Amino acid sequence: MKTRLAVLILLFLLALLPFYAGKYALYVAIHILLLSIFSLGFNLLFGYTGLLSFGQAGFYAVGAYGCGKILLAYPSLLAGIVGGVLLAGAVSLLLGILCIRHTRIYFSMLTLSFGMMIFSLAWKWRDMTGGDDGLVGIPRAPLEVPGLFKINMAAMENYYYVVLGFAVLAIYLFHRIIHSPMGLAMQGIRDSETRTACIGISVQKYRLVAFTIAGLYAGLAGALLPPLESTVTPPLAHWSHSAEPVLATLLGGIYAFSGPIVGSVLFYLLKDIIVRFTEYWLICLGIIVVILVMGFRGGVVGIFVREGSRR
Amino acid sequence: MKDIIRTESLGKYFGEMAAVHEVNLRLQEGLFTSVIGPNGAGKTTLINLLSGYMLPDRGKIYFREKEITRLGPDKRVKLGISRSFQVMNIFPRMTVFQNILLPVLSRLNKTSSAFSSLQSQKEAVGEAEKILGEVWLQEEKDFPAGELSHGDQRLLELGIAVATNPQVCFLDEPSSGMNPIERIKVLELVKKLASERKTTFIIVEHDMDIVFSLSDWIVVMNRGEVLAEGKPGEIRENQEVRDIYLGEEI
Repeated sequence: MKTRLAVLILLFLLALLPFYAGKYALYVAIHILLLSIFSLGFNLLFGYTGLLSFGQAGFYAVGAYGCGKILLAYPSLLAGIVGGVLLAGAVSLLLGILCIRHTRIYFSMLTLSFGMMIFSLAWKWRDMTGGDDGLVGIPRAPLEVPGLFKINMAAMENYYYVVLGFAVLAIYLFHRIIHSPMGLAMQGIRDSETRTACIGISVQKYRLVAFTIAGLYAGLAGALLPPLESTVTPPLAHWSHSAEPVLATLLGGIYAFSGPIVGSVLFYLLKDIIVRFTEYWLICLGIIVVILVMGFRGGVVGIFVREGSRR
Repeated sequence: MKDIIRTESLGKYFGEMAAVHEVNLRLQEGLFTSVIGPNGAGKTTLINLLSGYMLPDRGKIYFREKEITRLGPDKRVKLGISRSFQVMNIFPRMTVFQNILLPVLSRLNKTSSAFSSLQSQKEAVGEAEKILGEVWLQEEKDFPAGELSHGDQRLLELGIAVATNPQVCFLDEPSSGMNPIERIKVLELVKKLASERKTTFIIVEHDMDIVFSLSDWIVVMNRGEVLAEGKPGEIRENQEVRDIYLGEEI
């Protein structure tokens, strides 16, 4: 009951954000929401299925490029986002078939390799991706369902509500998935894949489902980016971008539903604060993550849960 | 009585070593069967082959006369074959209840459901509660399974193995690491489950007193081969079996 009330208050505050926060705060909030979606998908693989992927930025980039290309050809926000997500989902399904046969370091290295292949494609396939210039001049097209409604997205506030809507939907669906029988099967695979296979569950099937869902979430986060930045460039697919959901999730806590969301908020705010003092902000963030991993495996959320259970 | 599991010239080799060699078994439905033998005899490898955890290099395996030699463990479970492991193999981060619920959901083919809550799976929840009672773990229902005592984890693993409602269930040293009283308790529970659930249990066990008091049929392995099989009285009198146990009274 307390949790439900806290969620409602948080939603209320987020809904009112454009009324009390400036443009920069909205911009930061959108980025935090995108990272939250990205990290949630990553954690379905890592925290719930036990697979550490270093290639999620590849799917993020596929979503971003897909959305960017669609918006450049056909200015409909919904078509761009849905198209980007479906493209990322299809690519993650295909690559997933190859990756999920392996586990541990082999899986991680395969995902890293495929992610970097996508990065290379983004860099070299100039006709499609614009090469190192990327895609530029992507319009923030209106949100439109022909014959029903058309909402102009020129104002950042309007676009913020679109991102918030998608983020709330993604978080809600994630909550449903991890508390469903399928989510329990994934947690079984994380705990013991041999035991899971020996109770009649196809480990590879559920790994592939988790991989594809994680790809869809990465694709959604990526597809929501071009209308905000009006550009898409190859570094989105780089492995260092894949490290962001890893760090955010470790910060927040891998075994808590809210861990990746809390971690995303902390990651972005820490980055935003530290970067004002030094360009080596990742070193400072790395130190914080090392302390958390060595001393507080459950991340920040884990610390609060532990404190709460002590009282 | 019908054969529930039958093997033909079954073999598994690790380099030069024959872990299982030329094993021709007929395990009968309803008989409480024990597989015994000294360390390294190939008992666990045999269970691994029969449960699909390992694939054989030679020979064939039949379940109710249907060939299952190349089937993976998940598919064998769907046919009615289940197992427990020598080294504890439970879901340590999940609750005790979830440990039992998951195999029940698997048996009812409900694990594909992505958006329904666990509580809405009324049939599975009811069955999981019942199995928890059968293995004496109702009070530990909401505990993380990894925090249970060793003995309770063994009971939980037994619960997981029977939750798929198997026709045949292999238990690899189900009482290992337990004190003598716990051993008797858990093996009596196995016997009780065998009669109540009509499940054919095939166990690997080192405690000869328990083996000879509970078993209807005993298979003795040595160096990867079946040395002898028969009723407990026949095995007790078998000189070759006595010899591999260094003349111990068995």
